[in-house]
Amino acid sequence: MTSEKTTTSRAIVTIGILWVLLTAAGVLVSIYATPWLMPDSASNTMHMGILTMIIFSVAAAPVAALVYAVVLYALAKWRYTGEGIPPDGPSLRANSPLTMVWIIGSTALTLFLLVWGLSLLASDNSGQGGANEMTVNVTGQQWLWSFQYPSTASTQNGTPVSVSNEDLYLPVNTPIKFNVTSKDVDHGFWIVQMGIKINAIPDTITTTEVTPNKLGDYDIRCTEICGLNHSYMTTKVHVLTEKAFSNWLAAQPKHF
Amino acid sequence: MTSTIEHSTVSAPALGGGIYRRLNFGTALIAGVVFAVIAWWVAHSLLDSDGRGFSDQVMVITAVGWVVGFELGIGAFTSIGKWFTGRDQTHADEMYLAGKDAGQARYWRFTTDHKVVGVQYIVVTMILLGAGGLLAMGIRTNLLSPGNHFVNQQIYNSFLSVHGMLMILALIVAVAGPWANFVVPIMVGARDMAFPRLNALSLWTLVAAIPLLLGSLAVGGNDMGWVTQAPISNQSGVGFDLFAMAIITFTVSTTVAGVNTICTVLTMRTKGMTLERLPIFVWASSIAAALGLYAFPFFLVVMSLNISDRMNGTSFFIASEGGTGWLQENLFWLMGHPEVYVILLPAVGALLEITTVFARKPLFSYRTSIAGMAGLAGLSVLVWAHHMFTTGWAPALGGPFMVTTEMISIPTGIIFLVLLGTLWRGNIWMRLPMYWVFGFISNFIVGGITGIYLSDIPVDNQMHGTMFVVAHFHYVFVGSVLFGAIGALCFWYPKVTGRFLDERMGKISFWLVFIGTNVTFLAMFVSGLRGMPRRYSSYSLIFEHMNTVSTIGAYVIMAGMLVLLGAVISSWNKGEPSGPNPWGSKTLEWLVPTPVPLENFEVLPVITEDPYTYGEARTNS
Repeated sequence: MTSEKTTTSRAIVTIGILWVLLTAAGVLVSIYATPWLMPDSASNTMHMGILTMIIFSVAAAPVAALVYAVVLYALAKWRYTGEGIPPDGPSLRANSPLTMVWIIGSTALTLFLLVWGLSLLASDNSGQGGANEMTVNVTGQQWLWSFQYPSTASTQNGTPVSVSNEDLYLPVNTPIKFNVTSKDVDHGFWIVQMGIKINAIPDTITTTEVTPNKLGDYDIRCTEICGLNHSYMTTKVHVLTEKAFSNWLAAQPKHF
Repeated sequence: MTSTIEHSTVSAPALGGGIYRRLNFGTALIAGVVFAVIAWWVAHSLLDSDGRGFSDQVMVITAVGWVVGFELGIGAFTSIGKWFTGRDQTHADEMYLAGKDAGQARYWRFTTDHKVVGVQYIVVTMILLGAGGLLAMGIRTNLLSPGNHFVNQQIYNSFLSVHGMLMILALIVAVAGPWANFVVPIMVGARDMAFPRLNALSLWTLVAAIPLLLGSLAVGGNDMGWVTQAPISNQSGVGFDLFAMAIITFTVSTTVAGVNTICTVLTMRTKGMTLERLPIFVWASSIAAALGLYAFPFFLVVMSLNISDRMNGTSFFIASEGGTGWLQENLFWLMGHPEVYVILLPAVGALLEITTVFARKPLFSYRTSIAGMAGLAGLSVLVWAHHMFTTGWAPALGGPFMVTTEMISIPTGIIFLVLLGTLWRGNIWMRLPMYWVFGFISNFIVGGITGIYLSDIPVDNQMHGTMFVVAHFHYVFVGSVLFGAIGALCFWYPKVTGRFLDERMGKISFWLVFIGTNVTFLAMFVSGLRGMPRRYSSYSLIFEHMNTVSTIGAYVIMAGMLVLLGAVISSWNKGEPSGPNPWGSKTLEWLVPTPVPLENFEVLPVITEDPYTYGEARTNS
């Protein structure tokens, strides 16, 4: 009995140490590798997305570390090295307190992730909105994007016209609302460095919002299979200062 | 207590007995082709207005002709036909159908013996995995460098769709097909499945579906993705019709098989085999079968509506005519998410079974593990819209679906608890099946945790539709389910063949597949994090390194699978003899002789305890 107790407590101590070490390694990797592996952030939405990735990774580290610690210990210490079928191990059919702790622990961790995710979702949905919000109409078609600025709408000879372009130009620090549609099949409108994505669907308008917060050139890629040249359905976003943006907009020709 | 067993000799079935005793796989192929040609000719003459010979209507009717002809040619309808004309099956007929004394020939025909069906499923699974694996190699070769140097975009897109669907079908049947058929009836102490003829029907219906799926590649392919999203599915050529007909045929096969498994477990258990004494694999198979009965009707419906939009001018999924593509996506994922657990649960059940035997310990927390699996099945029907977070459908439902999806980690955690608790202080016997258990644990923790990121909507807005998702579900399907399926194969191989699967080749295969899986899909996570969308046939140069690494890793997996195939074939007749119970297991299938006789038991056993009495003093023996 005593020797059994000592082996068990020795196992628990060793696994505990292994667990702490692996968790520490996991936390370090989560904090440093995640932002390094992901694209630069050009909006608060993307920033919060990266932060969420880090927090989830940190929360997952002890779980994964515990599993790996037990498995490594089992492989090192509980491996049977004799010949033939091993003798039976101890008859441990259940351990209700441990099971309860495990279930309560995993539920608590899940609840934490849920609370974080739901509050982030709520703040996302509360809308950047505001008085200075600008609307851009996004149209996908096989296999290019076009962006139309309804604020420039006017009529020429009775025909409604406005600025539209195949690269997306946006003013920095201005909330943008995208009304997204498609001319043929579903496409996926994704601004890689801004963390927003929404399907472009024929005869339907979907919306998403973002506020770019960094000047520079960023990527748009299609994320819904749309036929032959799906992989080439990419374009650029150019985030300009407000002044540079109004100059650009004023210089553009208007068409139908 | 003694009992005498009356040995009586049943005479071999009389020769003759009508034409149906000459039906086999060959006659099925012939009848299938003949019926397909007749169906094509009739449809072409009556319906083909543009005269090209291959309109959607013609293709669908031809596919129906093939399936009906194949089933007639294999003899699937002979018994019911005889009953209908008032002639009952004789005992000799039943023995013929069960394949008594028929030798190798019984593997090539409509045989009702559940063990024959199990072996047939092993072969069918290997064919599906092989074909899907070759397409995967095609995909990865094209992605070795940017610029579509290997195949053009249309062929690439067809490879994607057919690879996806072949592998889904392969994994649905990979554990449930061979082992819910071969071992579950023996495990519960039955002489066969509840409905032996339905069992054979499910196998041969699956076989009939495969040529349709592969044939779709030959007639232009379905180049619109395996999720068959509308409206783009309406742009695909007639390859799509065969693709969808293959799935419709497959859903019939799975439904029949699922009903059979559930009825067998509910009605065929031997005396004393209470529900609480069932081996955990029986629970896993039954829960998966029940879940399949819920999920696959959606599959049948969504494919039928999709075909109807193409050939009948309906508009279920066409927004400009009053339908919506979101309906297609909802129906597809109502099937698609439960299906993940239809695939996963039997693999988990098999691995738990292996763990108790090779750790020489009772299953840790039997009831909790059943609750865990039931919890997975229950939650899995409530999470489907997490596949649609970025489609714009019902944004207000985002929160609720996020809640149900993240709750899945609680029953998943229970599975890990049971695995680790069973390993705890065991005498772990590191034979081949156990390697795959440890590989599963390592891979499934990665696949599971990355799923939690994707359930979070702000993160999913970034990650959806990228290689990150592809890497996540391949960690689940390849790293976890395929590992479970191979572990199950290594474990039960001696029961099927009487020989061990070659241990050395098996271990080489394990290390190749394990290393290959992690190299391929870890690199794919990086591609996804850096922003590479999925289903791209070519990519910007910043993704080249990681794609090259993934492709090399994929070749390593292929090498490992070929070594495994070599081991399976070479050990079948030449492996080291194993005897009836080489692992010292206590479940019933190991207590009958090897090869298992027709009808399994001379005398049905009476059960007094569960099969996990490792380390427990026997009260009586």
